[in-house]
Amino acid sequence: MKNRIPLMLAGAGAGFCLAATFLHFAYASPDTPSPYSELDRFGQAFAKVRADYVEPPDDKLLVENAIGGMLTNLDAHSSYFDPKTFADMTVKTEGEYGGVGIVIQSDKGTIKAVAVIDDAPAQKAGVKANDTILQIDGTPITGFKLDDVQKKMRGPSGTKVTLTVSRTGVKDPIDIKLVRAQVPVEPVTSKREGSVGYIKIPAFNDHTDSGLQAAVAKLKKEIGPGIKGYVIDLRDDGGGVLDQAIAVADDFLEGGEILSMRGRKPEDTERFDAHPGDIANGKPILVLINGGTASASEIVSGALQDHKRARIVGTTSFGKGSVQTIIPLNNGEDGALHMTTARYYTPSGRTIQAEGIVPDVVVSQGVDASDPYAEFDEREANLPHHLDAEGPKPAPEGKPIQPPAGQKFDDFQLSYAVSMLQGGPVMADADTQKPMKPGLKKGSN
Amino acid sequence: MKRYAFVGLGMVAGFAAAVMLFPAAQSAADNSAYKQLDLFGDAFERVRANYVRPVSETELVNAAIEGMVSSLDPHSSYMDAKAYADMKIQTKGEFAGVGIEVTMEDGLVKVISPIDDTPAAKAGIKPGDYIAAIDNTPVQGLSLGDAVDRMRGAPGTKIKLTVLRKGEKKPFDLSLTRAVVHVATVKFHPEGDVGYIRLTSFNQEAAPGIERAVKALQQQIGPNLKGYVLDLRNNPGGLLDQAVDISDDFLQGGTIVSTRGRHSDDNATYNAHGGDIADGKPVVVLINGGTASASEIVAGALQDDKRARIIGMQSFGKGSVQTIIPLSEGGGALRLTTARYFTPSGHSIQATGITPDIAVAQGDESAIKLAAQSEANLPGHLSGEAGGKKNTQIIKPAPGKKYDDFQLSYALDVLRGKMTVAFVKTAAATEE
Repeated sequence: MKNRIPLMLAGAGAGFCLAATFLHFAYASPDTPSPYSELDRFGQAFAKVRADYVEPPDDKLLVENAIGGMLTNLDAHSSYFDPKTFADMTVKTEGEYGGVGIVIQSDKGTIKAVAVIDDAPAQKAGVKANDTILQIDGTPITGFKLDDVQKKMRGPSGTKVTLTVSRTGVKDPIDIKLVRAQVPVEPVTSKREGSVGYIKIPAFNDHTDSGLQAAVAKLKKEIGPGIKGYVIDLRDDGGGVLDQAIAVADDFLEGGEILSMRGRKPEDTERFDAHPGDIANGKPILVLINGGTASASEIVSGALQDHKRARIVGTTSFGKGSVQTIIPLNNGEDGALHMTTARYYTPSGRTIQAEGIVPDVVVSQGVDASDPYAEFDEREANLPHHLDAEGPKPAPEGKPIQPPAGQKFDDFQLSYAVSMLQGGPVMADADTQKPMKPGLKKGSN
Repeated sequence: MKRYAFVGLGMVAGFAAAVMLFPAAQSAADNSAYKQLDLFGDAFERVRANYVRPVSETELVNAAIEGMVSSLDPHSSYMDAKAYADMKIQTKGEFAGVGIEVTMEDGLVKVISPIDDTPAAKAGIKPGDYIAAIDNTPVQGLSLGDAVDRMRGAPGTKIKLTVLRKGEKKPFDLSLTRAVVHVATVKFHPEGDVGYIRLTSFNQEAAPGIERAVKALQQQIGPNLKGYVLDLRNNPGGLLDQAVDISDDFLQGGTIVSTRGRHSDDNATYNAHGGDIADGKPVVVLINGGTASASEIVAGALQDDKRARIIGMQSFGKGSVQTIIPLSEGGGALRLTTARYFTPSGHSIQATGITPDIAVAQGDESAIKLAAQSEANLPGHLSGEAGGKKNTQIIKPAPGKKYDDFQLSYALDVLRGKMTVAFVKTAAATEE
């Protein structure tokens, strides 16, 4: 079980890294019942389909679909990559792919946009997170497999594709025309907010840690010694590569555990520790999270929260605390299993799975009055057959701080976080009464 | 898509349980099959050994078989042992129990209606009664399925139901003896001088039920009987032999349907025998987008023979035959597409459906609903083998006019040879 690089993505679709690994496989120990009778039953079904289906079936396809069925039934994140998909992934993991830039997920047979990648064709054309994709180029895709939907969306840059989406609150389906383009792996971006450094991490890919370090160095130079602290924005960051999450957390921590991964057997437990050194020189850090903060993002939030290195601001995160490992079959010639093999835990032993990270200061972005479903709960715990949480449950999030009535904010959560760090007046709605003392108290109200 | 039931239990008769997977002499193809099975075994083993928590092997294999079979087409599927047992009850059209149709309301089982001539009806159970306890076990906390399972049992066995009834201060107990209950799928009544017969599905009671209905209507209406309406709207189908028998009831001869599969034993032609239970009186068959499978066989056979006029909307288009293939004892069963069927004129119903002779809309269909509900729109559907025509004009109720059931009213007018309903003809744009 060494050398594996687990994948952690809330949705399929973003470019991701993979690891070629082989797991030892051993037959059952004598005290477990023999698997042979069940395997025989499969063999029987296979033989009958081969012999009697109305058209001669493709043996290989039959078995691929069987493996797919077996995997997707395990939990919401396990799946099978057929040989072609697996080969495509191997070629296109780093860098770019020609597509529209939507992270999709299958929910009871319907295909949902979990996130829309910044500056990609989909975002420019107006596709929004939580849209349900009904048709691609006029073909209904409800009931299609995620892989097939992805194949349909991808294509050479410059080619056109029309998506028909339904959106909560909008009566009729919407046709959206897109031109496919190279979708860049999302880079870390930063900007100065007064005396505060703002850094947005949209996903965890191979360039994330170096991007973060460069951003911190740039902001230090730009703002100078008067820098009050940093806002790390992990909102709608669906995760990515585990080692990058560990490196990002390590950047701010002087030592101690970052996370542990616990599989089925105690000896499979792996721990990851921080090394001395803090690229932010101990300046205060606020981490912004929301319901779209998942997986690798939750590891960073959880580690910085448990070590009290950062305060977490926003709303409770998605709750994807499971680790998927890619297990190639026959050297990848027969595809690969993408299977949940472990759960991960924050340094204090909390599970993230299905529970998420509860912010220290609960701040709502405010509800857009025109959209009754603006804060619709899209969470791991709501996915069909999600893996249950284990261990103690976190305290539920308190009543959120809302934007003051009548005022409009581009990004209230960010404004709130920046005010906390700058020590300026903090706005809060009438309901909250007392303005927050920046950075000192918990955001209960 | 559970409701598009198979056509043809026992078509491929007597699948022996366990067969030798592959005969000793291996061809190249069999080698490949072995290789694929090995691949599956490898994947199975890795999941078993490395998934984050221990998983049941039965569950793994059930999911694998389901994944394999359901990927073939929208009607092939796997039934685990329990689903298979339930299916057998449904198909037979009879089960041993007390004979009530029930639903769940506020955690209690509510009686929709007792079925005529069953223990429940005889004991005086009424629509709207609540079942609070079964053999002293409170129903609260049970699922509807569990409650139904508890009420079922061998004929002759006793059961005590605790009933809550509006107007009664206290719950009271009823003792019943379970019996075989027949699920009626045929409903009929005279519509003036026309006999109206509705068939809701094709179980083993379907053809005898139609025959009884025709006799009863002949007696009730007498010699002035103008004809019959056979209502197959929203009838998702069922057993093939029942569809053949019902078609035969009205036909004097000729082909009813033929099935063609991969093996010669899947190729069969079903012919009608002399005799017409309706004595040649006109028949109108009502169909719509929910008319599928066995229903389409009946509509197609009566249409091709010009024995009936088909009125309503394009039918669903499920022209494939599923055979139930049990796996070894307790292993559930495959519901596998093994053949396509063809109307006497050689039309494949698959994906095209039956086009009515007179296209009549109910008036409340939405364009989206019509477009969505068709075999041709199901992912992975089998293609048909012959194109069919479609209606170019659709009759709709005139604007401002309301009818309880416009299609039926139109059908009655056709049988009586006079128009009493007000209608407009529109281009069939909704068909797109």
